[in-house]
Formats: sequence, C-alpha cells, structure tokens
Amino acid sequence: MIKIPYLTALSTYFSYGLLFAFGQFRDFFRKIFDWCHSSNLQGYAPICLGLEDFYIRRLYLRIQDCFGRPISSSPDAWFDVVERYSNDNNKTLKRTTKVTRCLNLGSYNYLGFAAADEYCTPRVIETLKRFSPSTCSPRVDGGTTTLHNELEECVANFVGKPAALVFGMGYATNSAILPVLIGKGGLIISDSLNHNSIVNGARGSGATVRVFQHNTPSHLEEVLRQQIAEGQPRTHRPWKKIIVIVEGIYSMEGELCKLPEIVAICKKYKAYAYLDEAHSIGAVGKTGRGVCELLGVDTADVDIMMGTFTKSFGSCGGYIAGSKELIQYLKYTCPAHLYATSISPPAAQQIISSIKVILGEDGSSRGAQKLARIRENSNFFRSELQKMGFEVLGDNDSPVMPIMLYNPAKIPAFSRECLKQNVAVVTVAFPATPLLLARARICISASHTREDLLKALEVISQVGDLVGIKYFPAESEKQHQEPGAIKLE
Amino acid sequence: MYVKAEPTTDVNRNTEWFTYPGVWTIYMLIVFMSWLVVLSIFGCSPGMAWTIVHFCHFAVTYHFFHWKKGTPFADDQGIYNGLTWWEQIENGKQLTRNRKFLTVVPVVLYLIASHTTDYQNPMLFFNTLAVFVLVVAKFPNMHKVRIFGINADH
Repeated sequence: MIKIPYLTALSTYFSYGLLFAFGQFRDFFRKIFDWCHSSNLQGYAPICLGLEDFYIRRLYLRIQDCFGRPISSSPDAWFDVVERYSNDNNKTLKRTTKVTRCLNLGSYNYLGFAAADEYCTPRVIETLKRFSPSTCSPRVDGGTTTLHNELEECVANFVGKPAALVFGMGYATNSAILPVLIGKGGLIISDSLNHNSIVNGARGSGATVRVFQHNTPSHLEEVLRQQIAEGQPRTHRPWKKIIVIVEGIYSMEGELCKLPEIVAICKKYKAYAYLDEAHSIGAVGKTGRGVCELLGVDTADVDIMMGTFTKSFGSCGGYIAGSKELIQYLKYTCPAHLYATSISPPAAQQIISSIKVILGEDGSSRGAQKLARIRENSNFFRSELQKMGFEVLGDNDSPVMPIMLYNPAKIPAFSRECLKQNVAVVTVAFPATPLLLARARICISASHTREDLLKALEVISQVGDLVGIKYFPAESEKQHQEPGAIKLE
Repeated sequence: MYVKAEPTTDVNRNTEWFTYPGVWTIYMLIVFMSWLVVLSIFGCSPGMAWTIVHFCHFAVTYHFFHWKKGTPFADDQGIYNGLTWWEQIENGKQLTRNRKFLTVVPVVLYLIASHTTDYQNPMLFFNTLAVFVLVVAKFPNMHKVRIFGINADH
C-alpha cells in the first residue's frame, strides 16, 4: 500500500498536465509547419498513427539521457558507465569515449554472479572452447547438447519439480508458453501488476483474460467465483481450463506474492497455478529455492513454475518446471522449443555452475554466504532508507526496493544528481508504472560491501534532500518498535 | 495529509490514472486557476471570463475526451485505437462515479457562466450549445456511436 502526500498527488497531476499540454502545443505547431513541406511518403501509409508515439516524442525523449545508459564493463557492484552528450536537447545522444566508474544499484545481480566468479568463469570458458558460443540450431534439430540435458535436470532438482524445460530467452518463455498451455475457451486470471511478457503471452493465447487486484486473494476468489458462475463470454458454457498467473517478487514493488492463500484458492476452485519466479529464484529462501521455500508452499501445489536465469544466476534464458507429462507435452508443442535456437552453451554452463555454488556442491560455503549477505544487505539498506524518511516499497528480505519519486521532474533530477556523484540508479515512470507512482528502483546485490551500501546511502540521502523526496518524517527510533515484517502501509 | 494509492484492476494505462485520489480536486483547481488567469490577462468582467473558461473547457475536453482515439503510447498494441478516452475509462462500464462527476462539471460551469453573464443572449446561446454537445456525448447510449460516421475508424 503506497501512501502519497495529497499535495504531491495534486502537483504530480498538474506537472503531467503541463507536460502533456506543452507536447500538444508543439505537435500542433509542428503539424502547421509540416503542412508547407510535402511528405516524402510516396503513397505509403505512415508507420505510426499520430497519437501513438506522443509519449515517446514529447515526454520520454526529453529525459532520454536517464534511460538506456551504455556500460562498458560487466555489471558487477561497480561498473563503467559511458558518458553521452547531446547537441539537440536530448533528441539524439552521442557516446563519448570517456567512462565513469559508478556504483551499480540497478542491475539484477542478486547473488553477484554477474561478474567473473572463481568457480563459474573457468568452466564457462572451457565450455565456450568445447561447444562454441551458439548451438546454431533449435532443440529439435541439432541444438540439444549434453549440457542442455544436464541443465534441465539441474534446474528441475533445484526448483523441486520432476522435470524442466529451458529456453534461450526469459521474455520469450512466457510469451511462447502461454499460448501453448491455453487457448480460446480458456480463462486466464492474472495479477494486475504482472510483467509485460505475461500480458503479451496471455493476449497471444486467445483466452479470455481477467485481472484481479494486486496481491489480494479475496478479490481473486471473487473474480474466480464470478467467472466460473458466468462461464464463457457469450455461450456461457463452462471454461475449458482456468490458469491463475502470479509472480514471486513483483519487480516494480519489491513485494512478495501471498502465495499460500492464492494456492489454497486455486486448489479450492480447481484452477491451475502458474508462478513466475523471475526475481525470486535464487534470491530468496534459505537455500535460494525461491518464494515457495520462503513462504512454505509445497512445490507440488504450484502446477507450473517459470523463472529466468538473468537475475540470480548471471546468465540468460528462462525455464519452465512442472510434471513430466507437462514438460513432455511442451517439448512437442512449444514454438520456443521447436523453432527457436537453443540456449547458448556457455550460458548454460554458467547456470549449472552457479546452481552448484548456491547449493554448496562446489565444495565451499560461498553459496550460503551469498544468500545470507543479500538478505542482510537488503534488510539493512531498506531500514536505513526508511529511517531517513524515504518512502520505500517492498517486503523485508526482498532485494528489490523502489524509492517513490512521484513528480515527473524528480525522475531526471534524481537520476542525474546520483550519476554526478557516481551512483547509477534506474528510474521508472509511466507507462511502466501508474501515472502518479514514478519511482527509482534499487536492486541490492550480494557483491555490495558494507562500504558500498554506506556510500550509496549517503549519496541518496544528499540527493533526496536536494530533490525533495523524503516524504515521511525522518525517524530515528520510532519505526523500529515493531520487529518482523515492516511493510510500509 | 497522506492518501492511499491503491492499484486498480484497469490494465489500460491511458485511463487508470483517473482512479487515483486527487484527480477531482486538481480538475476543479485547474478550472478555477484558469479563470483567475483569464481575468488577469484580459481584464474583462468576471462573467466574460467564466464564459471564456467555459468555451476553452468545452474545446479541450471535447477534443481529448471525445475526439482523439487510442492511447499516447504503443505498449498496448493498438487494442484501444477505435475508442475515445471517454469510451475507454473503467473498461467501458457506464454510470460510474467518475463518469457522473465528469458529466456534472460542464453543467456546473455552464450554470456559473450563464449566471455571471446575467443570461444575456449571444453568450447564452453558445454556452447552451457547448454544454448540450458535451452532456449528450457522455450519455451511456452514445457509447461507441459515431453520428454520420464522423470520427469513425478508417
């Protein structure tokens, strides 16, 4: 639950209204000026209708330098950010050859595998020499190496399911699997804040999609009951199949899903549960097995578990884990398996090695140390930020913490001021988040040392004072009276 | 001082901002502030200023609520390209609180504008025309109706 000061809400609406009005004026005058010049379309239809790219042209491009900054090193705790400059007011940006060494608070590097690791990197290099960077083939043709089979077994064991299937891209996993699992006549009930890959997959499947209020099991039950009672849209026949899709950690809120209640409701109404653990696999739970372990949910109760390897494992790709029959079926029907190139062998080896490190099978306790460190780092950082008076979202133990900014002008201000002090943060605004609720999202990593975190806190505090985002009174001892889950309500 | 911003179930990012707290207040504040600005710039009588505000309000809201179709970003792959903003709010559900509020505002503005100009004739006719067009455009029966094919899809 986000608490926003009333005046900030009013000023945010006013700012967006002003930006929108200015954009409309400029578009209007641009249309008048362009009336004189003939168009060079030669009879072809324009690529976008006039209104579609309004947001990009008039709002996003103004602060384009805060997004898409190129980096020139691996995304470890400290990395090199390439400096850019613009001669035409941010419409085009040109790279320079200068780089700045910045503290990385934006990469999904939860366990620190994003940079060279003493166990993983030699093995990855050896695999690169043996198998070469690409399999140059889909799984079905010639792209299944021994590495792929080993990876699938490894993932299935790690996640706690009988079998798993691995794909080359995390986004494509969701958008290619959902159309295969469900079609017209089925019902998908998805959380209102689900990731774009799920939304696209659900739209592409042809099933009816209904949305329930974010993380509210009672509303999910209400929607399920209503939909089951009504049946399919016009014929009112019973639904062929119902899938409920939730995520483990919501990346824009840093919140954990209320999995036990949701799984109980799914079982009660005989709906399938699909859990997208992109941000939680490897990062939460005592041994890193994700949100099921953290919340005590039996993995046999969640029918389909999906995840990606980009966040905690330092690689690329996605997986689906489920029963043997499900994986067998997907192997025959999923287009990402039949037609897309299989996951790159060095990437697969990185995943296998990092899973071995997490489980301690490499003979050291580095995995357990990393998991403990990320938990400690996240809790420390979050509590310190809250003590300073920032509005930070997310549950305890979650390594993702969004700091609320609200006003559109504070987004580039926060981003640029932090960059000046060598801290790189990622800011997110409309339309990825609701209009009012722009935020700066911080991702804590196990490779951040205590000094790094203290420096980050100092910089963020200074910039926060300058930009004016300490919406809550800075408390020193008051908020620490209740231990446990200090969820900001 | 603080209000709760609850996430809605509306997936259309173009319209879900209207369900958050503070929208009605800022709408009324903007109308009032623009009256003050018009008074200070033109130096006319208050009634004339209200009439000007009423006309500009009519022009702006008609253009953005009932003329422009689609969304200002391409993320939703054009599924709302045939619908105006008014038809998109709250997924097309009619007679919700937001819709009732937005229908009442032009009527209240009309009453203020005609009262402060003492119901004199040239202004009164145009004011009445404006409010008539706006209120009829907001009727539930006019959902997705395109009269004479004006503003219909290509």
